[in-house]
Amino acid sequence: MARQPRQETDQLVRGRERNLFRPLVFTQSDGTVTDETLMDAVRTGDLAKLGILFERHHRELFDFLVRMTGNASAAEDLVQDVFVRVLKYRATWRGEGRFETWLFRIARNARADYFRTRTPDAPIEEAADHPSSAPLPGELLARTRDVVRLQRALMLLREDKRELIVLARYRGMKLEAIADLLGIEVGAVKVRIHRAVKELRDIFLRLNESPSWNTTNSVGSCPTT
Amino acid sequence: MEHDKLGRLLPDDIDRREADELDATWRMLGGIDAPAPDSDRMRARLDAVIDALEHAEPSRPRTWFGFRGLAGGRRFYAVQGLAAAAILLVGIALGRFVMSDRTRPADSASEIAAMRSEMRELREMVSLSLMQQQSASDRLKGVTWTGQLDRPSGEVVAALLDGLMHDPNVNVRLATIDALERFASRDDVRRAAIEAVDRQMSPLVQIALIDFLVKTNERQSAPTLRRLAQDPRVNDAVRSRAAWGLQQLG
Repeated sequence: MARQPRQETDQLVRGRERNLFRPLVFTQSDGTVTDETLMDAVRTGDLAKLGILFERHHRELFDFLVRMTGNASAAEDLVQDVFVRVLKYRATWRGEGRFETWLFRIARNARADYFRTRTPDAPIEEAADHPSSAPLPGELLARTRDVVRLQRALMLLREDKRELIVLARYRGMKLEAIADLLGIEVGAVKVRIHRAVKELRDIFLRLNESPSWNTTNSVGSCPTT
Repeated sequence: MEHDKLGRLLPDDIDRREADELDATWRMLGGIDAPAPDSDRMRARLDAVIDALEHAEPSRPRTWFGFRGLAGGRRFYAVQGLAAAAILLVGIALGRFVMSDRTRPADSASEIAAMRSEMRELREMVSLSLMQQQSASDRLKGVTWTGQLDRPSGEVVAALLDGLMHDPNVNVRLATIDALERFASRDDVRRAAIEAVDRQMSPLVQIALIDFLVKTNERQSAPTLRRLAQDPRVNDAVRSRAAWGLQQLG
């Protein structure tokens, strides 16, 4: 069976399923079918709908995982693993919460399993390419160095703390969503974010004082608590 | 969407000065870029899994590299470019050699043969070396390069089998399966494929291996495929494909 081109599929579903689902319940304000409705369809056997969910979420998932692992190849593997797990565990989807939270919960487990069974590749192999090798004006050069150092500090941060920063800073998750994902209170999320950023800043300042401070001091490989 | 301001994410009783310092760090985090994913390749692989589950029939014609759409990936073009550049260099070198040696026709044929042999060994050495690199993208290049080798040695086959069994990266393992297709007439390759389909943890790799075994009509894989098809702990897509594989092998 020929699959519809991806960009068109979403529109197709949008148009077709408006008649199938009650808009107030199953569609978003812009008329698109909600993630939860699509996942319901996947659970009941319409597996092709997973393609739409993939298109909607794979980039943010990749961004989360590449910032957590510092390795694009590993992040790609993990994104694929996450969607295969969505298929595998589709029967466990109850539609009681947000699909995104469920997806990130799977992603956290996939990441934990991945590094339990494998030795991580060299971290941030791609990220090292980001700072341009071309000569930069003094101020810009200093700023670029700071960003590279901060990136290193982030990778040295313990995984659970790094995760909080990535979710809040890069994924723009609301405190309530993070609390739901981690299974803790909103107040506890605030406290943990405070501690994480403070520790990140400390590591960053230490790297500034002693650029040779290396990964042997890393706490990034500590198990997630 | 990103949280550009840290302030409202912190507890209310934080000292103002400390909050400002932390906010500066928070803002600086915005300067860290992340690479973009190879969406086409990932989508193609997901489609392969969905196809396997939906139809339990052969996936659509695979590209040189393994799965539909993968040929559209940037890495594919980069590797193709590298291979093309290497072939061009070999061609130029051979051309110059031929032109400069026209005065010695008796020797030129054997010398060209010797040079070709050396170039082949060089390319093989580069492929093997790439396959041992720590970077997954380098190893992927190394595996792909083996496809360009004329009469590769047993060492190359051994390296590909090692990659299939032990490489931590799924993309590399998938590429080794494609690279091994040309050696499918070898018993050790087919035996390794049967062993690998049982040992692999990635459903994507398992499905590609089942396709490989069916394509090579490896009937000895039937007991393994039967076991996979009947094991409830195995991924649904893999079980479906194993069942399909058994049907194909008769």
